Amino acid sequence: MSAPLLEVSELRVDHGGRPIVDGVDFSLERGEALGLAGESGCGKTTTALALMKLLPPTLRQQGTITLRPPKQDEPINIGRRTEAGMQVVRWRHISLVFQGAMNSLDPVQRVDAQMAEAITLHAARGGADAVRGRIAELLTTVGLMPGLGRRYPHQLSGGQRQRVMIALALACSPSVVIADEPTTALDVVMQAQVLELLERLRSELGLALMLISHDLGVLAETCDRIAVMYAGRIVEIGPVRSVFDSPQHPYTKRLLASLPVIGGERALAEPIPGGPPDPGDMPEGCRFRPRCPYAAEKCLADPALREVAAGQAAACHFAPWATWPEVEAATRSPVAS
Amino acid sequence: MTEALMEIRDLAVQFRAHRTVARAVDGVSLEWRRGEILGVVGESGCGKSTLARAMLGLLEPAAGSVAVDGQAVNGKASLGELRRRVQMIFQDPYQTLNPRQRVRTIVAEPLVVQGVPRGEHPERVRRALEDVGLEPERFGERYPHQLSGGQRQRVAIAAALVLEPEGLICDEPVSMLDASVRAQILAVLVELRRVRDLALIFITHDLSLAWSLCDRIAVMYLGRVVEQGMATDVIERPQHPYTQALVTAIPVPTAGGGGERELLKGELPDATDVPGGCRFHPRCPRRFEPCDRVDPPLLAAGGSDQLAACLLHDPTLGAAQLSTGTSRSDAG
Repeated sequence: MSAPLLEVSELRVDHGGRPIVDGVDFSLERGEALGLAGESGCGKTTTALALMKLLPPTLRQQGTITLRPPKQDEPINIGRRTEAGMQVVRWRHISLVFQGAMNSLDPVQRVDAQMAEAITLHAARGGADAVRGRIAELLTTVGLMPGLGRRYPHQLSGGQRQRVMIALALACSPSVVIADEPTTALDVVMQAQVLELLERLRSELGLALMLISHDLGVLAETCDRIAVMYAGRIVEIGPVRSVFDSPQHPYTKRLLASLPVIGGERALAEPIPGGPPDPGDMPEGCRFRPRCPYAAEKCLADPALREVAAGQAAACHFAPWATWPEVEAATRSPVAS
Repeated sequence: MTEALMEIRDLAVQFRAHRTVARAVDGVSLEWRRGEILGVVGESGCGKSTLARAMLGLLEPAAGSVAVDGQAVNGKASLGELRRRVQMIFQDPYQTLNPRQRVRTIVAEPLVVQGVPRGEHPERVRRALEDVGLEPERFGERYPHQLSGGQRQRVAIAAALVLEPEGLICDEPVSMLDASVRAQILAVLVELRRVRDLALIFITHDLSLAWSLCDRIAVMYLGRVVEQGMATDVIERPQHPYTQALVTAIPVPTAGGGGERELLKGELPDATDVPGGCRFHPRCPRRFEPCDRVDPPLLAAGGSDQLAACLLHDPTLGAAQLSTGTSRSDAG
């Protein structure tokens, strides 16, 4: 088997010595969809921005990011690239659909003008006619009438704007698209439509997709593999089916338990006590330890992310978990979130 | 004392701009029972937040009536009384708290407004903060920027509770919060219902959350309630094609998801241009002959307490109304 399309190893991002992303490793195969799950502040978006080298200057990134685009023999070492060097990589090989599409479009420019800018800037080929043709093609690809290109963003609905954002990400036919919470601001129906679109694009264009979401339901529907982040690290990664059917990290277990499954038992999830740690004040050893019902002495040592089942890795000393012991009802002292 | 805490009849709210009229809430009748959790669900723009604001008199209704405990709310005095008994919290805990006030001042504000004697304030503020799981000594002196999102929402709930209302309207109270914080806030609300017998209206676009939390659910589409009933009936056995489409669209949190499904096409129409007949008919996969001309009322369907505004549940109604020439869409 050939080397993966995208390989990330020992990715670290820190902000004045406080680790936001703290040693993340993963790879993405051609045409694969990888889900990145976790709560706000766990480092999901920072990881995405680091892959694009779009972090603000106050954040420092380290680690190797290797991209092997199918159109090219030489692998691209994103970690080493300068800003000028990144400009030929971004959008052409790897692109990002930002969180909050509502605010990512220029309100005073027509949609087609914004798309033309992206196309001419990154893949200048042919004249105005070719660009116009490409815009119509892209809008059609994402399920919009080409005529919508003449509109201004405020004349589009949230779902249509999100489709325009996806069209922009596809403008230069990249091999990897990162979508950061692409459906969070959308209603269920619109969300389902956008997810269906992403899935169709993946199969039709052979895109590799990295989907970032706090919504495990969204990831379960769209992804092949899923990585769960907590406090700047991946605590579990594996095939969607294995992670959902038999999670191997207590944090994943609790996240899954917090999702209501319609038709199942109608009960509210037992809240996870406390909140995620402050990046400047990480607990010793396992970072989930202070909130973990199973924490023990050995959790004071930092657990490595290691394979515990076929293709599934977890950063927990107790993994693999054959069964999950009953947890005594958490002491119901008022916990400030 | 009646069973209903609040009862609204044919409530309508309209927004005018230029020469257009948006019928944001377009004839809603709803009963909110004592101590119950009533879910109001629907897509953005369906009128659920407008409905809630109109119930508390924060918006002037164009038509219809609101009653508390069987007493019609009419005029300033009854409005003050209504707001003492029913309070509201909003989606964004970052925007609803005054950044220049300390938590104890924010929580005491409703007491000031309602003219509760000053001497009672500290004790009532302390109790309200304890009820939402915030230690009064630790949090009372803080400013909103010193709190996390979950703590802010707790403060908003405390401020709503300090008047000891019988009902609390929650407009998307957890949609901006993460899974673990969300579970904590929901636990607070459910505990309040248990201990104080507080009735809740829970406005959300999250159907699985509504299903797991609510006693009854009303589904809104384009300013109308199109289906209502017990939460389990409405979500597990929906009787209106719109509810059916919403339920199908919920991402299923199991590997592989829900598999193949028929997705609703198009988007919610504009409230300035409500389709004639059944307002859902242009998007409805199950529409038939009279649906574009007959506006269906809520009809008994499915479960014991379940109603759906769909002609499928009484096809003869469509035919009857057409033959007498009194299509409801003309009347509206």
